[in-house]
Amino acid sequence: MTAIARYDGRRRLRGSLYLSVAVSALAALDIWVYPSFRDAFAGEDLLDAYPDQLLQLFDVQTMTTIEGFLATELYVFGWIILLGLYVAYLAAGRVAGDIEHERMDILLSLPVSRARTVTEVFAALAVPIVVVNLLPPAVVFVGSALIGESIAVADLLAVHLLSVPYLFACASIGLVVSVASDRADIAQRIALGVVFGLYLIESLVVGTDYQVVGVVAPSRHYDPAAILVDGTYDLVGAVALTGMTGLLLAASIVWFRRRDL
Amino acid sequence: MAAIAFDGLTKAYGDLLAVDGVSFEVDEGEIFGYLGANGAGKSTTIRVLMGFLSPTAGDARLLGHDVTDEAALVEAKRHVGYLPDELRFDESATGREILDLHAELKGDERSGELLELFDPPVDRKIRSYSHGNVKKLGLVTAFMHDPDLVVLDEPTGGLDPLVKQRFADFVRAERDQGLTVFFSSHILSEVRRLCDRVGIVRGGQLVTVDPIDVLLDRSGKVVRIVAREPLDHKTLAGLDGVHGLEASPEGRDGHGFREYTFTFTGDIDALLDVLAGRRLVDLAIEEAPLGDVFLRFYGENVDHDDTGGQR
Repeated sequence: MTAIARYDGRRRLRGSLYLSVAVSALAALDIWVYPSFRDAFAGEDLLDAYPDQLLQLFDVQTMTTIEGFLATELYVFGWIILLGLYVAYLAAGRVAGDIEHERMDILLSLPVSRARTVTEVFAALAVPIVVVNLLPPAVVFVGSALIGESIAVADLLAVHLLSVPYLFACASIGLVVSVASDRADIAQRIALGVVFGLYLIESLVVGTDYQVVGVVAPSRHYDPAAILVDGTYDLVGAVALTGMTGLLLAASIVWFRRRDL
Repeated sequence: MAAIAFDGLTKAYGDLLAVDGVSFEVDEGEIFGYLGANGAGKSTTIRVLMGFLSPTAGDARLLGHDVTDEAALVEAKRHVGYLPDELRFDESATGREILDLHAELKGDERSGELLELFDPPVDRKIRSYSHGNVKKLGLVTAFMHDPDLVVLDEPTGGLDPLVKQRFADFVRAERDQGLTVFFSSHILSEVRRLCDRVGIVRGGQLVTVDPIDVLLDRSGKVVRIVAREPLDHKTLAGLDGVHGLEASPEGRDGHGFREYTFTFTGDIDALLDVLAGRRLVDLAIEEAPLGDVFLRFYGENVDHDDTGGQR
């Protein structure tokens, strides 16, 4: 029952490994520059010079500990923004791309239901989502040790583990757009716009009267700074992200079953 | 049970009726040609049949299963091979990887034999395939699970003549083993060579369904007469079943014409009686080319392409 997922997953493996290496390089770079940042930020003077909105946008808690620095520079920027956008982009291109390039006819000429097809191509996104999280924790752990800093292993693993439901939620946004579209590039642009838009809205409404609006944004439910700096894990958030993913997957299936190809 | 049944099938896009009330059946074990000019509604009919499009009205049944019932359709597809007109595979995959996926989902009874027959370069990536190689791989995937029915949309476009011939021989042999073939084409010679029955579609509507020989009979014979002396124009023109009588200018001498061509749907004996006693140089009575048959249903605005061009 997983032939399509395994086929798709194999096709995504190589790119996912490259991606894992690339974000590991980003992690290494961040750790490499951290000591000079730490000294520059000492006393938080520099941080005070930033507008509050910008600090809020990148969820900057502190730049004077390795955890606070990485939460902002690596996890908010790299995971929440870059990888969130990337997996939404991948998902958005998958179904719409097959429809646009007339590959979907061949896939659906096989004895598989449309629901199964959508579910399996979505499940195959587990490959980039999981693989991208394999190498970086090791790089962060070893890199931190090399510059004489230490990071709690449990927190480090948690920040990666809890990014998995976050990334799936972003991917499910891309999937919904994908099944509703005939063209990959349009689906991808819409998905990027929606995921980034939700992130911006969530960041800007935090602490305002409109805070509740941000609950629909995946980034509300995954907080690297809370995990790394405070050691608090938002498990309810992970459940919310999983629920969001399930809901959007179900919506994708309903839509895809009804549409003409 | 009919292998395929359409009953009042209609597919509308807004005001445009791509398929308009089409009803016919394809029997088990026959090769049925679905013939029409480009844009006549062939592919739309097929895509409704395969469940890619939902019908606006009417029914389509695939191996007895209602195509709008997805579970039934999936069951039917275990026994159906399909080759789309615009055939595309994942460019980054090799032919082998595509075959493995298909094998896993629908089974593989005979890909080895088919690979020998059609010989696509399975170890290369699809990206490097020519149009013909993609089609060859498509033929392997369409037949590998030994289906009861194959639905082929313009199957031989892009194939070289040798492979076309191999395909025709293969399909006929399979038909003799009980396979049902439903294929669309705008290539007349292909239909002539392969089909048991033909449905002609025009502007989304089914114009006629006939056994190929009935269709050719109805369209008559092409007769060409070259006589030693001028023939009596009136006698020929007055004969029952003579259409489009034309005298050849080259056959003209002082008293009239010696050469005539016409389409003849009458009694051959009556024609020979008229010619009895005449001294002839040549007499040819041939089956009308299918293109002429096609013209009768299409008028003059027909796509004459008989060379395997694209739609």
